[in-house]
Amino acid sequence: MKTAKKYKLLVYLILIFGVVITSTPMLYLISTSLRPNGSLYEYPPKLWPDKLTFENYRYVLFKVDFYRSFLNSLFVAITTVLLAAFIASSLAFCLARFDFPGKNLLFAAIMATMIIPGMTLIIPQFELAVTFKLVNKLGGLIPFYIAWVIPFSTFMIKGYIEGIPADFDEAIYMDGGNAFTVYRTIILPLASPSIAAVSIFNFLTVWEEYPWALTVLNDLEKRTLPITISGFFGQHNFTLWGYVFAMSVISLLPVIICFLFFQKYFISGLSSGAINH
Amino acid sequence: MAQNYLTMPGVTEKKKIKINYPLIFLLLPGLMVFLLFTIYPIVKLLIMSFFDWQLGLEQKSVFVGFKNYLQVITDPICRKAIANTFVYALVTVPSQIVLGLCVAVLIHSTKRGKITFRVLYYLPVITSWVIAALVFKYIFNNEGFLNYLLCDLLQLTENYIPWLDRPATGLFVAELLGIWKGIGWNMVVFLAALQGVPVELYEAASIDGSGKIKQFFYITLPSIKNTILFALVMLSIGAFNVFTSIQLMTGGHPAHQTEVALTWMYYKAFAARDFGYAAAFSYILAMIITLITMMLFKYFPNDHTRRIEKLT
Repeated sequence: MKTAKKYKLLVYLILIFGVVITSTPMLYLISTSLRPNGSLYEYPPKLWPDKLTFENYRYVLFKVDFYRSFLNSLFVAITTVLLAAFIASSLAFCLARFDFPGKNLLFAAIMATMIIPGMTLIIPQFELAVTFKLVNKLGGLIPFYIAWVIPFSTFMIKGYIEGIPADFDEAIYMDGGNAFTVYRTIILPLASPSIAAVSIFNFLTVWEEYPWALTVLNDLEKRTLPITISGFFGQHNFTLWGYVFAMSVISLLPVIICFLFFQKYFISGLSSGAINH
Repeated sequence: MAQNYLTMPGVTEKKKIKINYPLIFLLLPGLMVFLLFTIYPIVKLLIMSFFDWQLGLEQKSVFVGFKNYLQVITDPICRKAIANTFVYALVTVPSQIVLGLCVAVLIHSTKRGKITFRVLYYLPVITSWVIAALVFKYIFNNEGFLNYLLCDLLQLTENYIPWLDRPATGLFVAELLGIWKGIGWNMVVFLAALQGVPVELYEAASIDGSGKIKQFFYITLPSIKNTILFALVMLSIGAFNVFTSIQLMTGGHPAHQTEVALTWMYYKAFAARDFGYAAAFSYILAMIITLITMMLFKYFPNDHTRRIEKLT
């Protein structure tokens, strides 16, 4: 039995060692955001500063319009997630429960677009944005983000709806309900776990989206968080890492809070995708 | 299970087609968004790839046939970018799977702290690419912490290594970032798969006297083969999507030597404004990744799990 105990201890030691390695970059990010900007290239560099200061946070929160980027990101992310949830779940419902001409083709096309890197479509999408006068507008991001997340969302929700017995639908039709009634009273409530899981992933995707926002947005006051954070480089001759990292920590907070609260959904969403295949 | 409600039952007898309007109402938003913002761009991209495309000036765009494709194929930087992407995939995909699986097996074997470890290992996954790229850039800077550690503290290197200014090391840092960010995702996916392996199999193996390592190769690996394929496909697609880390850390420098497929496409489109070239390149890229996905599915027979299911 002694070897079993030693083995257990070894497992924990390896796991803790792994955590130390993988969390070092994040700890370094936090520590850099907490040290005075002047000492960023002090010699020797330290992993953890002697003196902690909130100077960078104060600057970022009150001296520059960082809060505006935060609100921009929040607006775009929430709008996209809500619209995508309804659009994808209703599309998934149609695909899971009905036969209509071109249905198989539509589903195959949705699956195929998940393979192709989304960024390869950036040129025609940019032209589309120009045509619809969506360039340099915050709202201009949203339709493209929705289109971006719909294939994965639809695929996941469809799989879940297929697990819901169709008997429930039948009962509604017997009572004279139509497809819309079924969607509202059966599908939305019963498929809500998968819709929630997908929505969390969509929130993360949109919250951190970089290339499209970089291409479409110009004005400072319209920028989303990733653009503001990465754009802070070009504005100064030397990078003020303290400010950049303070912004990074603030922008990570909603994501981490979201993750800790909805951890179950993260896991279930991922697992069902992995096991269905 | 699917039933035909597009035409209402009973109505068809009268040979009158009644359209199910609620269904169309449900179908239309998704269909419209998908057709307009995804399918239309795919078609438009194909058209663009045969033109010397001028953005927004359709009438001035000149049809050039396969000239863009020829240019892409003969371009040495393009070849470099594709090669870099393949190297990135070949380095990051197996590393993520092996490390993620190791962590998953270890976490699976523990009794306490499962959730804590899961959360801690998953944190890099939810860190955005932009932030991760900036942190790695800071660590691997010339005056960054790593050079100080290697050169001044441990004296392993004689001089500071310009990690991000050299092609090989620049790519290496991006690969390291990709692996770091991907372990958590693999861990979660494999943990779920491990929970699905029937305990009886291990019990039977233990009675037969086979050790842990033998059990891993003869029970665990075959049982989760489908999940490995799933991870392989998703990670390969993910490797071809790499953009932000390279863009922010090396920007393709020096002399486009650290360029990957998407950064090169982006440069050609929005810096060089050679949209036709970028469109042709995008199409070739999409074809490569589709081929890879199809090959993975073909050469990865997934009948093992079925065999195991039959055993139990």
